[in-house]
Amino acid sequence: MTTLVSVYDLPSDVSTVVRKLKSRGFEDLTTYSPAPFEEIEEAEDPKPSAVRLFTLIGGLTGVVTGFGIQIWMSMDWPIKIAGKNIAAIPPMWIIGFELTILFGGILTVLGLVILGGLYPRSLDEHYSPRFSAEEFGVVVRCEERDVAEVESLMRDNNAKEVTLAASH
Amino acid sequence: MAPPPASAVADAMNAPARPRDSQTNVDIMAVTKGFHWPWLLAFLFAVAGVLMALGALIYETYYGLGVAGYQAPVFWGVYIITFVFWIGIGHAGTLISAILFLFRAKWRNAINRGAETMTVFAVLTAALFPLIHIGRLWKFYFLLPYPNQRYLWVNFKSPLLWDVFAINTYLTISVLFFIVGLIPDIAVARDRAVGWKKAIYTIVAAGWQGTGKQWKAHNRAVLHLSGIATPLVLSVHSIVSWDFAMSIVPGWHATIFAPYFVAGAIFGGFAMVLVVMIPVRRIFRLERYITDYHFENMARFILFTSLICGYAYGAEYFIAWYSGVEPEQTSFWQRAFGPYWFSTWCMIIFNVVMPQLLWIKKLRTNIPFLFVLSFFINLGMWFERYVIIITSLSREYVPAAWGLYIPSTVELIVLSGSFCWFSMFFLLFLKIFPIIAISEVKELEIHARDHAQAQAQGGAH
Repeated sequence: MTTLVSVYDLPSDVSTVVRKLKSRGFEDLTTYSPAPFEEIEEAEDPKPSAVRLFTLIGGLTGVVTGFGIQIWMSMDWPIKIAGKNIAAIPPMWIIGFELTILFGGILTVLGLVILGGLYPRSLDEHYSPRFSAEEFGVVVRCEERDVAEVESLMRDNNAKEVTLAASH
Repeated sequence: MAPPPASAVADAMNAPARPRDSQTNVDIMAVTKGFHWPWLLAFLFAVAGVLMALGALIYETYYGLGVAGYQAPVFWGVYIITFVFWIGIGHAGTLISAILFLFRAKWRNAINRGAETMTVFAVLTAALFPLIHIGRLWKFYFLLPYPNQRYLWVNFKSPLLWDVFAINTYLTISVLFFIVGLIPDIAVARDRAVGWKKAIYTIVAAGWQGTGKQWKAHNRAVLHLSGIATPLVLSVHSIVSWDFAMSIVPGWHATIFAPYFVAGAIFGGFAMVLVVMIPVRRIFRLERYITDYHFENMARFILFTSLICGYAYGAEYFIAWYSGVEPEQTSFWQRAFGPYWFSTWCMIIFNVVMPQLLWIKKLRTNIPFLFVLSFFINLGMWFERYVIIITSLSREYVPAAWGLYIPSTVELIVLSGSFCWFSMFFLLFLKIFPIIAISEVKELEIHARDHAQAQAQGGAH
């Protein structure tokens, strides 16, 4: 396999080149961007992010935990307060709501950590500090016979540099 | 193996050894570098204030809450006032970050980091005060539902317990939101640091490289955090207001309290953002990023929320009169003309009268005026809580049980120490992490460039 690293100035060029590469079957690619751009995300992976599942699971866990601990703890040492039921539901909405948010938020961040691979580790071989400046990178792994095609596709879409990075 | 195309090899050889950095990175990261006299003086002042407050706190912990100015019937004083004040200050960050994000208000990008930073440290400051107020600091865990020998649980029907959950949730979510937004910018710092700084930034940046996969997860996480933080921010100050409104103390038992507190929190929070960000912009030369347009928009928010506060103050007086309930009427009469008249009139003048000057565009865009006005608004918001808590309690029920509360020196030192505590953390942050969200500013700049290019080529993309 061969790796081609291309550098761009504009996100619209990146999204176009990614779309074209994918339509020609070059699926093994990575983009690097200094800022979030929806058009690049859409081009690279149009499927909805699984982070939402984490949020949902967290929220549901939170609401069950919130009401659960309040009902159980109220019943565990039953004291009548202010003439309300021992496990009166209306005042429980507050803590039920807060724990829904708390668990939902924590799991959302956990989702980001898992799906984004956010843990201290060494950076990708082809990552460059210029991708945290103002430039964009598209790294494509392809067969050696496809290098010319990929390169011309990159250059046709305003790649300012194309580098043949490695052959294995 | 087939030889690589000549052009690719040529590019590889001619690639610049050290590519040009973006001006945005350079300008914003410059805040963390170099030596700034105003910063050092402010930091030393803040540390001195914190040490003084620590001394006062040790003194109070040793001798007990008797050294505070509590006197029957007023047993909620400066500590609870300051708690509510700082929680209110902490509302602007989430409002700017979450609610304005959901409304796609792009102008928030330059100020959201500063506001979020302020939120985190304001809530951190606020969270100390209930602990200080309970006196026996080491018993703080009594507030939490934990298994104990007596099989007792906390009272879930108490608004004070709701507050424990609300504040802790708000602190956790604010910190998470803050860190999530910060990670891409820490990667910018990592890529430009050397030596031990690089090693630390590398750990904190958690492998961020700005890949498509990372941005996708990041954007979705920010969206969801915004979605859940929006009702949260509205709930937190509502719950704080219920600490008062759920009781039957005249002046407290009002249904308007929740929206009134939330509007007041946003009002005070925005004013604090101006108090903090105006000097930061000036000292660190960030005029290119934080423009007068940002400050003017915030001034508009302040004007709007000031009107809500004014309406709430008026509604309280109207309902007290219209209800025909004598204790309620007395309580409000005492607010305006009783022994604490000074605080009430400060509240009205600073929070309602003075902000009306913002209707005038010339004043709304005058930065020194905004700074001074915001300072007075913060003073007014502190007095608002003073009025609510002290006047209501001191004129609580039967006149024979009325009393006066005068804050003690210890309380005033701890109060001023809280500002120093907040400032100390904020100043430290300025020198370690970027105070403006670099990636979000770049998003706007690059989009503008992309758009301009597309127009120059005569077509939209």
